[in-house]
Amino acid sequence: MNVPPSGRVLDTGKLFAARLQAARVRPYLATALFALRPVESRGVPTMAVDPYWRCYVSPAFVDRTPVEELAGVWVHEVSHLLRDHHGRGDRYAHRHQLSGPAERLRMNIAADCEINDDIFGDGLTAPEGAVRPASLGLEDGELMEDYLRQFRLGPHTAHLAWLECGSGADGLPRPWDLGPDGAHGLSSQERDAVRFRVAQGIVGRPGSAPAGWRRWAEEAFHPPQPWRELLGAAVRSAASAPGTGEDYVYGRPARRSAAVPGAILPSLRRRPTRVVVVIDTSGSVSDAELGSALLEVAAISRAVGGRRDLVGVLPCDAAAGRVRPLCGGAEGVELLGGGGTDLRTGFARALESRPRPDVVVMLTDGQTPWPSRRPPCRTVVGLFGRVNRRSSYDESDPDYAPDGPPAWARVVAIG
Amino acid sequence: MSAYAPLAETTLSDAPLPDAPPSSGTPLSESPGTPDPSDAHAPSAPASRLDLSGELLALLRDTTTAPRPDPQLEALTLAVSADLPVLLWGEPGIGKTAALTQLATTLDLPLTTVIASVHEPSDFSGLPVIGDDPAENGVPMAPPDWAVRLVRAGRGLLFLDELSTAPPAVQAALLRLVLERRVGALRLPPGVRIVAAANPRSSAADGWELSPPLANRFVHLQWVHDTDVVVRGLGGIWPRATLPVLDAGRLPEAVAFARRAVCGLLGARPALVHRLPSGEAQRGGAWPSPRSWDMTLCLTAFATAAGASRDVLSMLVRGTVGDGPGLEFLAYLDRMDLPDPEDLLADPGGAELPERGDLRQATLDAVVAAVRTRPERGRWDAAWALLARAAETGAPDLLVVPATTLATLRREDWEVPVSIEGLAGAVSVSRRADRAKVRALDVTRAGR
Repeated sequence: MNVPPSGRVLDTGKLFAARLQAARVRPYLATALFALRPVESRGVPTMAVDPYWRCYVSPAFVDRTPVEELAGVWVHEVSHLLRDHHGRGDRYAHRHQLSGPAERLRMNIAADCEINDDIFGDGLTAPEGAVRPASLGLEDGELMEDYLRQFRLGPHTAHLAWLECGSGADGLPRPWDLGPDGAHGLSSQERDAVRFRVAQGIVGRPGSAPAGWRRWAEEAFHPPQPWRELLGAAVRSAASAPGTGEDYVYGRPARRSAAVPGAILPSLRRRPTRVVVVIDTSGSVSDAELGSALLEVAAISRAVGGRRDLVGVLPCDAAAGRVRPLCGGAEGVELLGGGGTDLRTGFARALESRPRPDVVVMLTDGQTPWPSRRPPCRTVVGLFGRVNRRSSYDESDPDYAPDGPPAWARVVAIG
Repeated sequence: MSAYAPLAETTLSDAPLPDAPPSSGTPLSESPGTPDPSDAHAPSAPASRLDLSGELLALLRDTTTAPRPDPQLEALTLAVSADLPVLLWGEPGIGKTAALTQLATTLDLPLTTVIASVHEPSDFSGLPVIGDDPAENGVPMAPPDWAVRLVRAGRGLLFLDELSTAPPAVQAALLRLVLERRVGALRLPPGVRIVAAANPRSSAADGWELSPPLANRFVHLQWVHDTDVVVRGLGGIWPRATLPVLDAGRLPEAVAFARRAVCGLLGARPALVHRLPSGEAQRGGAWPSPRSWDMTLCLTAFATAAGASRDVLSMLVRGTVGDGPGLEFLAYLDRMDLPDPEDLLADPGGAELPERGDLRQATLDAVVAAVRTRPERGRWDAAWALLARAAETGAPDLLVVPATTLATLRREDWEVPVSIEGLAGAVSVSRRADRAKVRALDVTRAGR
C-alpha cells in the first residue's frame, strides 16, 4: 500500500480488535457492529458515521487511541445509527424550523448525551472528552429531543465544538460522505432489518442488556404515540361511531324522496354526543395532568359536534359526587377528593345522569376496582402512568400488579 | 381605451351590490346607463382576456418529467396488479389523486373517482326503484351511473377518495363495495381494480378507524410526500416513475420463492400466524392472520416476478401483516439469500461469501453448525479452508467466533490443516481484544 502524504496507514488490525472487543462485551450489538462498514477517511477528525451505515475512520485517530477506547467509540457510533439519530434530528429540525451547523452541533451533543449516559463501563472505556449530560448540568436517562430543549450553545459548550459524529448523528451531509449511491451503503430496508434483529435479540434475551437498551428495543418499531392524539382518536371514534348520536331515521323524509316516488327513504339525523368524564381524584394523580387531560376531552368533544354544556364532569374517589356540566372551562371544575378510589360508584353515577351519556371517559391511574360487566355505553380509559413509568416494576413490592382495565374499554396511556 | 375596459367592467359588476336593496329610490335605469362604453368592447375584451389567461395557464402547465424511482408508487402498482384492496393513508392534498392518475395511465385503465363523503349509503347499496307491484316483484336496487358505466366497460380503476370523512353508514356500504365488489344489484367485473384513500386517524376530524377484521382485508400503504419532489415539481420538473412490469419467464420461480419464504417463516415461528393487535397505537392497522399471510404470499410472488426492490416489498409486507411480523419476514428473506452451507463446504475454493460483515458472520456460523451436525474430517478441513478464504477477503474479527467453535470440533486423529495459517490475523486481533478487555475492566473497577 502506498503511504499517503500524512504518513499514516490505517491500522486495521487495531480497529478490528477494538470491534471484536466491543462485540464481546456487548454481544447484543454484534450484528450492528459487524454490519457497519469501515471506510478510511482523512477528512474526519476521529470516527464518524453516515446514515447508510458506513463508518469513516481517521488513521491518525486509530493510531493514538488505545484499543479499549476505540471499542467504546465503535459502540458509540453504532448507537447513533441504531437509535436513528439522523432521522430524529431531521424531524426535530423540521418541526422546530431549525437550520444551520450550530443547530446540528447541538443535535450531535444531545444525541451523544442520550448515548453516553449508559453505554460505558463493564469492559468499555469512555473515550477522552466523551460528553455526558452531567457536564451540561442535565439529568441522565433522557432522550435526544428532551436534551435539545434544555441547553443552548455558549461558553460552557465551547469545549464540545470539535464534536463530530458525522451525518449519521445529526442528519447534515458531510464533505467526506459517500452518499446514498456510494459503495457498500445499506438500503433503508437493510437498515431496518439490522435494527430489528438487534432489537429482537435484546427483547428475546432480557437481562444481558441495560435498561436503556431494553427500552430502545421495545420502542424501536413501535414508538410511543403522543397520548393526546390517541386519546383524541379514541374519544372521537367512540363519539362518532355508528349508534352514537347519528343515524338514519324514518321520522322525516330524506332529501331524495322526491326522486323515488312511492318509496320511503330514511334521512340522516344527528343529535349532539353527550360525554361524561369520570375523574379519579385520589391522591396519586397530579392536578396538572388532570387539567390537561380534561381540556383535551372538552376540545375533542366540541370538535365532534358536542357543546360544552354536553360535557359532564364527575370527580370521584371512594364516593362519587354528581355530574356537573363543564361550562366554565376546566379551570372551573373543583377536583375534590383524595384517598382511596372506587370508580365503580362513579361509573354507576355517570350512567344514572339524564340524558344518558353516549361516551364515558375515565381518567385514572388504574388503582381501582373495575365494573364487572360491560356498561351500556362506549368507554375510554385514560390511564395515568405512575411516577416511575419507565418500568412497571415496583421495587418495594415486586409481586404487586393491579388489575388492568377491562377488555371492553379503550385504554390510552397518558403522560 | 380598451386597456381600461376590464377595470370598467369589474367596477360595474361590483357597483350594483351596495345598491341592491332599491330602497334609496334611485331609478334603476341609471345603472344601465354607465356601462355603455364597456358594452362596446364586450365582444372583444373578454375573449382576448381569456385567451391571455389561457396562454398563461398553458405556460404554467408546461412542465417536464424526469425519471425517478418511487417506491411507494411501485408498491401501489404491485398491489393493484395483484388485485388486493389497497388503502392509502395520507394527509389531504399530497398527491394521492395524481399518483392514481399516473397509475391508471400506466396500466391503461380508465380512472373513475368517487368522493365517498358526498354520497349517501343508498348510492352504494343501490337506490330502491318502485315498480308495478312491489309486493309481487320486489323492489330492485338500482346502481348509480358510474357503476353501470364501469360494468359496461368491463375494466377500470375505481378510486374511492375521502373514505374516512364519510359518515359511518356510508363507510359500511362502501366496505361492501370494496370487499365484495357489489354496487346494488351489480357486481363489478374482475377487470375493475379498487383503491381507497383515507386520512390518518390523527388528522381525520371525525376519527374514523377500521375495526381489526376490516383492517385485516386491506394492504395499508402510507402515502407521504417528499419535499424535494414537490419543490422540483413546482419548479417545473415532476418525477416520472418507471413502474414494475411482470417478467413472463419468472412466474413459476416467483411462486415457488414466495411459498418457500412464507411457509419457511411460519413453520419456524408458528406464533406469527395469527396475532390480534393489542395496543391502542396499533389499532386500525395491519396485523398477521392466515388471510393477510396469504396476501403477503401473493405480494411476494408479484414483487419477485417484477424484480422489485426489497424496499418496495418491505412497504407491501409491513402494510399487510404489520411492522413486527413484516420485518421478521424480511429478515427471513435475507437469511434465505445467504449461500447454502453445504454448497460452500463442497467447494470452498470457489465460494462467494457475502460482503456485509453481519451476513458474512452468519454464513460462517451456519457452515460451522453444518460441520457440527455431521462431523467428518473432509468437511472440517473444508470449513478451515473457507475461513482462510474469508480471512483473505474481509475483516478478521468476524472469524474469531466461528474459528473458535470449529477448533472445538476437532477429533484426536485429525491433524491441523495448513490453511489455518491464514487465520494468524484473526488470532492476533483476538489477543489484542482480550488484552484490551482486561485493561478496560481494570479501568471500570478503579473507577468504582
